Amino acid sequence: MHVLLVEDDPELGPRLSDRLRGAGFAVELATSRSEAEDWPDVDRMAAIILDLGLPDGDGIGLLRDWRNARVETPILILTARGSWQDKVEGLNAGADDFVVKPVRFEELQARLNALFRRQQGSRSNVMEVGDLALDPMTRTVEQAGKPLSVSKQEFRLLHLFMRRAGQVMSQGDILDDLYELDAERELNTVEVLVGRLRRKIGRERIVTLRGMGYRFEK
Amino acid sequence: MSRLLVPGSLRLRFLLAISLWVVLGIGAIWFSATGIFTKHIEASYHEELEVHVRELGRLATFGEDGELRLSRPLSDPRYEEPMSGFYWQITADGRKPLRSQSMVIGKLDEQIAHSPEILHTLEKGPSGPAITYGFTRPAPGGGDIHFVIATDQSELDRLISSFTRDLTLWLVGLGALLLATGLAIINFGLYPLDRLSQAIGRLRHGDAYELEGEYPVEIAPLVADLNAYVHQNAEMVAKSRVQAGNLAHSLRTPLAVMTDEAERLGETAAGAESSKVLLDQARAMKQQIEYQLARARFSTGQPYNARRVHLPEVAEPILRAMKRLHPDKRFLLDASQCDSVVLPLDDVDYSELLSILLDNAGKWAKREVRLEFLCDSSSSFTARVTDDGPGMSEQELSHAFEIGSRFDQEKGGSGLGLAIARDIADALGLLLELSNTPAGFAASVCFRSSEINR
Repeated sequence: MHVLLVEDDPELGPRLSDRLRGAGFAVELATSRSEAEDWPDVDRMAAIILDLGLPDGDGIGLLRDWRNARVETPILILTARGSWQDKVEGLNAGADDFVVKPVRFEELQARLNALFRRQQGSRSNVMEVGDLALDPMTRTVEQAGKPLSVSKQEFRLLHLFMRRAGQVMSQGDILDDLYELDAERELNTVEVLVGRLRRKIGRERIVTLRGMGYRFEK
Repeated sequence: MSRLLVPGSLRLRFLLAISLWVVLGIGAIWFSATGIFTKHIEASYHEELEVHVRELGRLATFGEDGELRLSRPLSDPRYEEPMSGFYWQITADGRKPLRSQSMVIGKLDEQIAHSPEILHTLEKGPSGPAITYGFTRPAPGGGDIHFVIATDQSELDRLISSFTRDLTLWLVGLGALLLATGLAIINFGLYPLDRLSQAIGRLRHGDAYELEGEYPVEIAPLVADLNAYVHQNAEMVAKSRVQAGNLAHSLRTPLAVMTDEAERLGETAAGAESSKVLLDQARAMKQQIEYQLARARFSTGQPYNARRVHLPEVAEPILRAMKRLHPDKRFLLDASQCDSVVLPLDDVDYSELLSILLDNAGKWAKREVRLEFLCDSSSSFTARVTDDGPGMSEQELSHAFEIGSRFDQEKGGSGLGLAIARDIADALGLLLELSNTPAGFAASVCFRSSEINR
């Protein structure tokens, strides 16, 4: 899953990026409001983590601009401002959650997953599609109640498929979600990864639509 | 107590000074006027009697029978009226005494007139003490003719007391008029101070940002100085809040880095113990930072903040935010009992308090959180947040306001919310109570004052 982290602190930004990557997210780091403003396709991100105190402008303004531009990506504010006045302003400007620094990474991850669940209309931590069950917090997958061993990239791909079950996704969409912008991208990587995942969960679960992409069957 | 009678007040001082001045002035006028009038009327009286006794001497003659008679009556008719208090008498040796028609009874002592010089004395007259004048003249056949004229002393006393009574009445009236005028002058003179007092009241109650209005040159510099102080104070408060925010940023971000480093340390077997210590300490630091910064935010802005809480408007953005923060819970607002209420409180602090209570209720509620505004009486207003969660045991209730009290570690949060809420309530003079009710767990914030505007 692709996450945009907007954080200007030169120490905290890279650290948080590493932790998010370690949790299976593809992370893009923007260190200023202008950089975040110009970020392409923010509406295709799985989530945005936004700091409010940016060096070249207020994060609340950026949040409003995104919402006015009909960007519906879940946005979690991660800030050093702890008053309820700031929280109410941030939430009413369009944020989906508000976390005050410092925060344990496991709590941040839980809040992000709660946003994903909320987006899917689910109240459970575990995502279920058919006989497949995926827990983003514990990073475990079960099929028909039995544990399934998947690699980090396979987990990411399965997570993406399960979040967008029934939807057609091109190889480009999948690459955008799985890899960061500056990562080396090759379309056949997706083919290889889909092939490996098919062997583990069953070929029929992922349908290839020639010239269009893939669809994960519900 | 009337404003006039407040001990030590300028009004009382001015009133006492004016009263003393009026009493002394009126008293001096009274003494002077009655003294001058008495002297004048006595002099006039004596002069008149001397004229009368001289006239009596001129008019007295002897008839052909040798008896005393007057060539005509005295010009003052009061000597003709019986017992009028005005009497005359002429006596001569061997002759029948001649007396005024007014002297029906009694007689005057002829020895009063014992000298050719006109003499006067106070003697007993026919109708009481009388001022008598007399002189003698040699009679044609030898011996003396005694001319005596008398007027009752009471007549002079009556004139003087009548004048004194009239004068006293007029002076009392004048004194009352002067006092009333003095009061009007006091009120007129002190009116700018009254306006200043009202302006300070508006400032203290948050209706104004500074002392408003034009003032006389004598107190305008004082008002300007006070306004400068108020502005300086407001700037300090704003600066303090900004500094509190800056302090938060400057502490929290490095603390976030430390937390991350401690978590990374915990991923190694050797560093697990150290990581736990560091994370515990980081959590304690975060807790203290949040608590002290929250206190700094609300405790600096109390006086002269010119803020008002407009209900239910103040709750609407908070409830919208709560619906985003707890999307699986229903947040209901019931302001039907008292719509459009204005409280003389800092709206930012009151919002912070409501937000903490609503967020806390949102964390614990099963499905629903209800915010009710209740007007209990003409001077009492309660905001009540009720959730349908499990509530608190008696033991939990007794520790609910303690710093760091968390009854479910999985619910998240710092355990500071209710401690901060209680401090805000104390600072705003509100009563915060937690209770288990039939409708669910309730947090009530009660405001009592005569200044509730509906």
